[in-house]
Amino acid sequence: MNNQNQGKLLTMTASPHIKSPIKTHNIMFDVIIALLPALFWAIYIFGFRSLTLTVISVVSCVLFEYLYRKIMRKSNTITDLSAVVTGILLAFCLPVSVSLWIPVVGAFFAIVIVKQLYGGIGKNVVNPALAARVFLFISFPSQLSGDAFTKPYEHLPAFSINVNITDEIRAGATPMAVIKNGVLPESSELSCMLGGIAGCIGEISATMLILGGIYLLLRKVITWHIPVTLLATVAVISFLFPLGDISGLEFMQYQLFSGGVVIGAVFMATDYVTSPVTAKGKVIFGIGCGLITMFIRYFGGYPEGVSFAILIMNLFVWYLDKGTKPICFGGARK
Amino acid sequence: MLKTFKGGLHIPDNKNTRSCPIQAYPAPGKVAIPMQQHIGAPAVPLVKKGDYVKKGQLIGSFENGLSCPIHASVSGTVADIEMRNSYTGYGKTAYIIIENDFEDNLDESIKPYDGNPMQASPEQIVELVRKAGVCGLGGASFPTYAKIQSAIGKADEIIINCAECEPYITENHRLMLEEPQYILGGAEILMRATGAKHMTVAIENNKMDAVAVISEHIKSIKQASVQVLKTKYPQGDERQLMYAIKGVQMPAGKLPADVGCVIFNAETCVAVYHAVYNGMPLISTVVTIDGDAVEKPQNFRIPVGTSIEDVLSNCGGTKDSLCKIVSGGPMMGTAQWDMNAVIMKNTSAILALSDKTQDNHEGNCIHCGRCINACPMHLMPNYLAAFSKLGDKENAEYFNILSCVECGSCTYICPGNVPIVQYIRTVKGQILAEKKKAAEKAAKEKEAQSK
Repeated sequence: MNNQNQGKLLTMTASPHIKSPIKTHNIMFDVIIALLPALFWAIYIFGFRSLTLTVISVVSCVLFEYLYRKIMRKSNTITDLSAVVTGILLAFCLPVSVSLWIPVVGAFFAIVIVKQLYGGIGKNVVNPALAARVFLFISFPSQLSGDAFTKPYEHLPAFSINVNITDEIRAGATPMAVIKNGVLPESSELSCMLGGIAGCIGEISATMLILGGIYLLLRKVITWHIPVTLLATVAVISFLFPLGDISGLEFMQYQLFSGGVVIGAVFMATDYVTSPVTAKGKVIFGIGCGLITMFIRYFGGYPEGVSFAILIMNLFVWYLDKGTKPICFGGARK
Repeated sequence: MLKTFKGGLHIPDNKNTRSCPIQAYPAPGKVAIPMQQHIGAPAVPLVKKGDYVKKGQLIGSFENGLSCPIHASVSGTVADIEMRNSYTGYGKTAYIIIENDFEDNLDESIKPYDGNPMQASPEQIVELVRKAGVCGLGGASFPTYAKIQSAIGKADEIIINCAECEPYITENHRLMLEEPQYILGGAEILMRATGAKHMTVAIENNKMDAVAVISEHIKSIKQASVQVLKTKYPQGDERQLMYAIKGVQMPAGKLPADVGCVIFNAETCVAVYHAVYNGMPLISTVVTIDGDAVEKPQNFRIPVGTSIEDVLSNCGGTKDSLCKIVSGGPMMGTAQWDMNAVIMKNTSAILALSDKTQDNHEGNCIHCGRCINACPMHLMPNYLAAFSKLGDKENAEYFNILSCVECGSCTYICPGNVPIVQYIRTVKGQILAEKKKAAEKAAKEKEAQSK
């Protein structure tokens, strides 16, 4: 026996005494990697202003988390990278023309109000990025909807605080807004699929988002249940009930690929904290998100409904988990 | 498809000692033998300070009820009988301390079986096993004689558990390679005693060399087969083992015998063999010494009562990075606070772990559901931990907290580093204590009414 170890204080903990090396920050890092293709695509379509907004959003999210925890004398949690993910997702929900301070306001709402006031990571009831998006959407409608969308391939100045949207760069209505009136949008289904359309920074390219989703599936960060059931619900309903003279197939493609459904299905609805843990619960959650999305798109006042749908379903998570409790091995012990 | 169960984990198995033969242990100068090494009542010391005891001599027993006799593991003088904390840290237990005289004087009562043990009656076998103090060496340490009794006439199938699913531990693996005749000989005795009609030796597929050896030796036994199982933790848990082999879920609160099975650990079979053939009591056990803070990982056959300090010094000592000592496997073993803790009958491993392996900073649950996929009992450990933390027993019971087997899979996989099992264990203990109290109260009231 080494002399040093004689009388050394030993660590006492309950079993198990070994732990998996995969920690929260590893999982969050995978999500960040999965979001990169969509970010690169945004830079290609909208220019470096999209990167500027994303960086501002990420930095403010991390900073607000750090400051809140510091002021409230809680442990520092920025190293778990969840604030970074929230920051990226928040920026992805904004049009590229928004003022540079908009993501800062959004980050405050997402991190402080939605996440930290409830106790930080794992304790929030609704998805912080989505809640912040809706908060901004109803607080600054002129910045986030209608005329705020600019044409694809029009690169806006990367660092000017406000952008003056001239008629030349204004996209007019997004495909989502057009199709709500039963009219076929100008952009083809293929450009919707690839992402050469007007829309929010991160949600335009279904291809890039699905690429990220496949990465997450392969890394076993997410399971297929929520994305597949959500997309399938939207697909089936839109195929069966097209608006105007549009064929079911065309209507379905625009519904799936031109709005926020894909980013919602792959990145927002699969957020661990605000989605069910059981497979059955996830399936119900996905179908619920899809149904509410389509209800809002058909009957609501907004062209877009995914954010609201996911936020509403977030509120059901506890009951879905409780209701889909797996049957215990060998039956319950009394 | 290899047979297995639903849930569980693929943990790096770290079986570093798989090619370390079981070595004889250099006789320790002193042993401290605890009187409680089994489930049931503690044994009562039969010797007093200053007595001379022989190796294998009965030094502790308790006759009225479930218990297990205790024997001296060396010959020498009883230096003291002292009360020490039990190895779980819960309650006190008497330890008989014997100074070794290095004479190895064997007790006269130890003699080979007179006749052919394979013709012994079940009652004779049960008595021999009881007298030898054999208990389950897989970890739970249930007195083997009582297990045989519970299975007589009920179990058609005897399963020899050689899964050894805990990382690091290789003692059963080495026994299968080096002493297959004792494992199978003991198993045959147990088969005879319980009246089982078929024997299955269950081995995980990370020990294919052992599968080959056992398959070769098993040919001489009628009605016996080897079952290779997928390597997955906790495959060695009796519920999961039975599910993998027989496809039946043992109902909660029942025994394997209730579904027609009886399960014995490989090393228990070896102990039964020696108890019946040679009359040799259980006074030493095979232990794997490993971990990243021990200099020379080994497999030793160590006399019961040897201190961990002595054991580690015989393995080249520990490294400076030593942080934790675990008695048992890394998933379900018990951390020790003291190098004076001793080897017991059911000790399967001593692990010296460095600070590198230990990250006990608790984070938040992120609701990822990994624990649910890992739980072999199909529970929701995330909610169990959350409600346990809040002390919400009602909800904890709704989520079947009492079915938790504390295998540690959830806690291993948790990315938030939540000590799930610790929370569950605390509240589970409280609920069970309350239930026991309520049952006692009800019994008393009933008694009072009948008067």
